[in-house]
Amino acid sequence: MLIIKKYIPLAIVMIVGLLTLATYYVPAKASQAYLSTLNQWEVIVSGFAFLLGLISLLMTHYKKIVRHEDGWGYSIFVFLGFLAVVIPGIISHGAQADNGTLTSLGWSFRYLYNPLASTMFAVLAFYIVSTAFRSFRIKSAQAFVLFIAAFILILGNVPAGQMLWDTLLGWTGCCSISDIIQWIMQVPSVAAKRGIMIGITIGAVVTSLKIIFGIERQYMGRD
Amino acid sequence: MKDRLRRFLNIDRRWLFLLLSVVMIWPIIHPSGIAGRTTQQSVKDFYDFIENLKENDFVILGVDYDPSIKPELQPQAVAALRHLFRRNVRVCILTFISGAPGLIEEIKQTVPQEAGKEYGKDYVVMAYNPNYMAAMTQMSIDFYKAYEKDAEGNTVKGMPVMKGINTYRDMAGVVEITGTGMLDAWVAYVGDKYNVPIIGGTTAISQLGYGPYLQNRQLLGLLGGMRGGSEYETLTGRKDKATSGIDALNLSHMLVIILILTSNIILLVLKEKN
Repeated sequence: MLIIKKYIPLAIVMIVGLLTLATYYVPAKASQAYLSTLNQWEVIVSGFAFLLGLISLLMTHYKKIVRHEDGWGYSIFVFLGFLAVVIPGIISHGAQADNGTLTSLGWSFRYLYNPLASTMFAVLAFYIVSTAFRSFRIKSAQAFVLFIAAFILILGNVPAGQMLWDTLLGWTGCCSISDIIQWIMQVPSVAAKRGIMIGITIGAVVTSLKIIFGIERQYMGRD
Repeated sequence: MKDRLRRFLNIDRRWLFLLLSVVMIWPIIHPSGIAGRTTQQSVKDFYDFIENLKENDFVILGVDYDPSIKPELQPQAVAALRHLFRRNVRVCILTFISGAPGLIEEIKQTVPQEAGKEYGKDYVVMAYNPNYMAAMTQMSIDFYKAYEKDAEGNTVKGMPVMKGINTYRDMAGVVEITGTGMLDAWVAYVGDKYNVPIIGGTTAISQLGYGPYLQNRQLLGLLGGMRGGSEYETLTGRKDKATSGIDALNLSHMLVIILILTSNIILLVLKEKN
């Protein structure tokens, strides 16, 4: 039993992991054929993963409704939203338009999903403004540096800000706000981003190797 | 005086919401038309890349965003497609985001008609593919194994627009408009590995993160947010949604600055009085 549950899955992961890694460095026909097959498998498996996720989502919200858990009313909207897209999708065979005319799926996308998603994101603007007023406090030297950087970036990102800068400081003959933004974006920002990217990449390489060589086994579950 | 300042600092946030609403709606009723004075180098590079494409070149246009960030990115995608059509470049539109096919449909219903372009001959729209990594890798081996059918269910192989296209080697580049990490994926899995030129468009908030790619020329051009879109529209000579959106952005950005300054000045005054 241990062989089936533990050693065979570990062996599959190791062999597939090493072979896939090798395809990056070996541009032979066999390696391309292997990668091509693997890609097709991946698409099929991800289709099943979608289905699994969908069933899990619906079951979770169904249980919430049946048990009348906190916020169960919102779970009804999960089902309503799901049906509002899936039923038109089935009726219109997945097509958004037919000869330039919107299908029922196209209609539900344009007049339900589109405005709802936009509204959700647009609401953020109000909270950002409110938070900017209430929480952006310059209480330390670090906060002051952050404020100056944010101030320049916000100001330089819009034409009105550029005009204001030129009007107030243009006479000094000092660099324009665009030059300052360019410097912030190309020097400190890139340095920080590069550091983060290198850190993430090293972490990803280490985790991948741990999975390939069977050191990291959490993906196999507890049994 | 002190009490008044304190009360102002604790103002009901609904007043701020109302103020922002006015600031956002006013420019829509009365556009100011204040244009940007400068153009970012990454926007110029984006423009130059498309401008230097040859007639009949083949380019992938990735439309990878959903309606939540449509106001920021759709103008970029529309402007890029118009520019590509003006250069008589063949375009293959594809997406890995489930919310994008409807937005592609919106673009498809307007831009090709005004440019006089024909579906299947000058451009094609591929079906949504949920697995970007597999599709990107597969296109390096055989495009038609990644995309057998287009979004309308037609067989892709044999379409005039696909003539001579089998792998990335036959393409002139990728234009990726996204608010997700898809641009990173194009750079890592396609640009670097197969030497494919990549340019991109992204949200203002994501723009800073692409600095390392731009410095290394892994990314040959970048449009950042509405400002990048409006600068690009100016370069292409056709001002549209990004340029008109800049007005609302102008005032709302200024409002944020004023609010931050005001609250900090009040705090300073209160501190000194204490």
